[in-house]
Amino acid sequence: MASSTPLGNRKKPAFLPKTVSSQLIIIILLLVGDAAVGWVISQFVSLGYTPLAAAFFAIALAVNIILLVKKAYPLRWMVAGLVLMALFTIYPILFTVWVSFTNYGEGHLITEELAIQHILEIKYLPEDSKAYSWTAFKSDSGDYALWLIDAEGQPYLATEGELIAQPVPGQAGIGELDADGIPVTIEGYQRLNSILAATDPNLSNILFGQEDKTIQVRSPQEAAELVQKYVYDPERDVMIDQEDGTVYSNLRGTFSSPTGEVLKPGFIANIGLENFKRFFVSPALRGPLVRIIVWNFSFAGISLVLNFALGLLIAVLFNDPGFPLKKLIRSLLIVPYTVPALLTILVWRGMLNPELGVISRVLENLIGWAPPWFTDQWWAKVAVIIINLWLSYPYFMLISSGALQSIPDEYYDAAQVDGANGWQKFWKITFPLLLVAVGPLLISSFVFNFNNFNLIYIFNGGGPPMANTPTPAGHTDILISYVYNLAFSASRGVDYGFAAAITIVIFFIVGTITLIQFNYTKMWEEVSENV
Amino acid sequence: MKKILYTTFALALVLVMGLTACQGATPTEVVETQPPATEAVVTEEPTEAVVEPVATLRIWADDTRTPILQGLAEEFLNEYNVELVVEDLGVVQDIRSQVIIAIPAGEGPDIYIGVHDWLGSLVDSGLAAPIDLGEKAADFESSALEAFTYTDGNLYGMPYATENLGFFYNTDLVPEPPTTWAEVLEIGQQLQDEGLVQYAIAIGGDPGYNSFPIQTAFGGYVFGKDENGAWNPDDIGLDSEGEIAAVQWMVDAVNAGLMPETTDYETAHAMFESGDIPFLMAGPWALDRIRASGVNYAVAPFFPDEGAPFLGVQGFLINPFSENVLLAQAFLTEFIATDSVMEELYITGNRPSAYSSVLAMTDDEDLKAMGQAGANAIPMPNIPEMGSVWSAWNNGITLALTGDLTPEESMVDASTQIRDLIKGALVGMVNLPGSYQSLAGCGADWDPACEATGMTEGDDGMYTLTVDLPAGDYEFKVALDGDWGVNYGSNGEQDGPNYTLSLAADGTVTFVYDPETHLVEFTVE
Repeated sequence: MASSTPLGNRKKPAFLPKTVSSQLIIIILLLVGDAAVGWVISQFVSLGYTPLAAAFFAIALAVNIILLVKKAYPLRWMVAGLVLMALFTIYPILFTVWVSFTNYGEGHLITEELAIQHILEIKYLPEDSKAYSWTAFKSDSGDYALWLIDAEGQPYLATEGELIAQPVPGQAGIGELDADGIPVTIEGYQRLNSILAATDPNLSNILFGQEDKTIQVRSPQEAAELVQKYVYDPERDVMIDQEDGTVYSNLRGTFSSPTGEVLKPGFIANIGLENFKRFFVSPALRGPLVRIIVWNFSFAGISLVLNFALGLLIAVLFNDPGFPLKKLIRSLLIVPYTVPALLTILVWRGMLNPELGVISRVLENLIGWAPPWFTDQWWAKVAVIIINLWLSYPYFMLISSGALQSIPDEYYDAAQVDGANGWQKFWKITFPLLLVAVGPLLISSFVFNFNNFNLIYIFNGGGPPMANTPTPAGHTDILISYVYNLAFSASRGVDYGFAAAITIVIFFIVGTITLIQFNYTKMWEEVSENV
Repeated sequence: MKKILYTTFALALVLVMGLTACQGATPTEVVETQPPATEAVVTEEPTEAVVEPVATLRIWADDTRTPILQGLAEEFLNEYNVELVVEDLGVVQDIRSQVIIAIPAGEGPDIYIGVHDWLGSLVDSGLAAPIDLGEKAADFESSALEAFTYTDGNLYGMPYATENLGFFYNTDLVPEPPTTWAEVLEIGQQLQDEGLVQYAIAIGGDPGYNSFPIQTAFGGYVFGKDENGAWNPDDIGLDSEGEIAAVQWMVDAVNAGLMPETTDYETAHAMFESGDIPFLMAGPWALDRIRASGVNYAVAPFFPDEGAPFLGVQGFLINPFSENVLLAQAFLTEFIATDSVMEELYITGNRPSAYSSVLAMTDDEDLKAMGQAGANAIPMPNIPEMGSVWSAWNNGITLALTGDLTPEESMVDASTQIRDLIKGALVGMVNLPGSYQSLAGCGADWDPACEATGMTEGDDGMYTLTVDLPAGDYEFKVALDGDWGVNYGSNGEQDGPNYTLSLAADGTVTFVYDPETHLVEFTVE
């Protein structure tokens, strides 16, 4: 430590601002930046986007520390990257975790602040109050007057603060009435049609008439003696109905009355571990989960073994220098890899179609029977695995070819001397050394297939359906497609909170697998060290 | 120098990101609604008002409707000095996912196009404003208005087009449309025997929606209605006798080789277009491709056995957080709800109009026939519970068609799945919501889903709950499945009166609920 201090001291001058003025500029810029970020944060807070505000605060704080603390100087060179990572990687992860503890989803899409704003705007017409049709007149100074006609056809003239019953043409500058009983002109005012009047967004906020009985424009057709329906009590977090006194308390994101009446809209609220519980505890969901997880692992495992085996086989064949037309065939074999998977899956879907598909038709003509690819659970699984094989073998062919090139020929020469046959050479030299090189890629491939949503969803939507399950599920459904159905279509529309909870569960499953497999590949690395 | 440059850059970056993020997520318009709008100032000076539009209406539409609405922009600007910005969001179905993200973030349009069965989610989430059509309401088809009316009695959309399935038949093979479903199979059988067709009929897409006219012909239904005529999510008709009979009919057709067991949109339509099946139920969206295929077809003005298809209604909805709710309403009722615009919407959209005068002059024979066949069409339920229906419903029918389950088993299963999905995670919960709950660890009183007062089932089948309460008077009730839908009062009856509980001193209360009698007994210690 002692030796590092002089070294640090010696280096410092090169890093520090040479003049006071440059230091000052940094501080001023920082203050401006902080002020801007502070404004953004205050906006977020006022709108209820607390997590986003917290993220901005944390990032701004970190940037300040990096720029002001001398020891953090080297970090300056990474500050842009760190900020971007925080915003686009770390924040989404934290946000997902936060969402998983809320009821964010359809029915609960807006913040409590917005929901309260919405509910406070609800008005009602008390029993002895009247509704009118209206026509707006606007004075040169921008004041409005409303010509109102009630249900009995009686006219009224309302301005802010005054309501004249039975206005008569000729008085107070009121001109002749037209066929609808509305004056053509009012002195000092200009008559507006309903669209023109509506272009002023403030019109519906104006209280016309006397103080005790104000009239508000509620729609292009109607103005009425409206009264605000609900009042919010922030102390108790309740809404109180002004009409009948009912108290609506905040129950997990919905204002609910003691008798179960609810106020729309609902809002985002913290519901604790509810989403996780729903996934693990609820009997409605637990049902097909075990079968789906078993198939999920089988699908990823079988796919990995088959795809790798085929890719490796082709790679080994082409590794033989004497293979004819090597380049051409190898190029052709890569084709499935270059076509977008989405299209390939759709093409396979068409080819396997029982009525019109090429494969089904040909099989029917040849042997008089075609597998029910879409309606039988086992054949559907076979189909999914075949399509995945078609999609993935070129990848394994490519990586295996590369890895094979890197195995030194000396090993084979030595084996030759020891009298090993081709089979032994493959299993004792090629395969272990290959695994060392492609091991991590195998893991990533397993993880990819574990979450291979596209294939499952596009091919048959997870179908055919399972019988006797508490929730809709299909035989080829993997965890992610099953959950997608539950969170985004089966239940009440979109349910982000639930989806986020499941994402976290899947993350832990995949993370555990990866960890185990990495340990396993370490074992192979040890093998390679001993070769 | 470099250093300073760099610092400036870093700060600029932070600033820019702050601003863009703010643009992406903050509803600045919403914040600024309260202070008197600047537009008022502008109108005071007429010279400026001509140059600067007094307001802007943003509309989100689909690719078919966008050009029509854009065509109105110039007229609207000239006449009212209001700018119309129409944004094309692709197909109608895509608008929903955009709306539910944009409006909560304050970025939503003033008006957007939608389908009536989104109402449940949109209204419950506060993303649609009520619309008052006033006298204009009389100009619309009542079924279309009914579809856009939510359970609270308010109208939330101004409809412009309707769509429902029609019964297509191949006129080369069948001269007259069949009047019963039995006849459909008879004709199909005959044609199949003659080697002219492969099957009698195929279901062209998800079986629930696309075979609905078969289901309704036999008396099946999805949700019943309560005494007020509102959809009743507690009355699920998918395990009703009629529904099972309808599924049985389809299973028999499959077993007789007159219907394929798969229900694929592409396959079914291709088979009809190539003459492999004489009958198909298809919607107006398939008209273009069927016409292009050159098959000789006609649309029957009715379904066999008077079966009723689902009715879908498209319309304009208003964002309740818009600054211009009143203007949006006025624009819709005065500018869109006119013969000329409605006619244009009909001609380009290729769907029966929801506007009566335009519907009356429909000259497309196929659309007219579809409209007639849909005279008894049932609007797709617009309550959010419908979201829990689709996949269970489709799976139920598919499982019966493939022979995995009998029609009865599969439809009873499907209905149970739907009930469970509607109840959610709390199915099976027995709770005692009451005025004591906030003292027993709940966030509020009268919460039928509060975990802390959930009862536990004993070995004897009785449910118990023990709470420590201070002296006082309390009321409570029994509620099942974490919801007020099924609740029992002190007389053991649904929606009965509250139980009352008076504690003279602090004590421990043990409640015991008997699921047979629906009665609660409590003891105080």
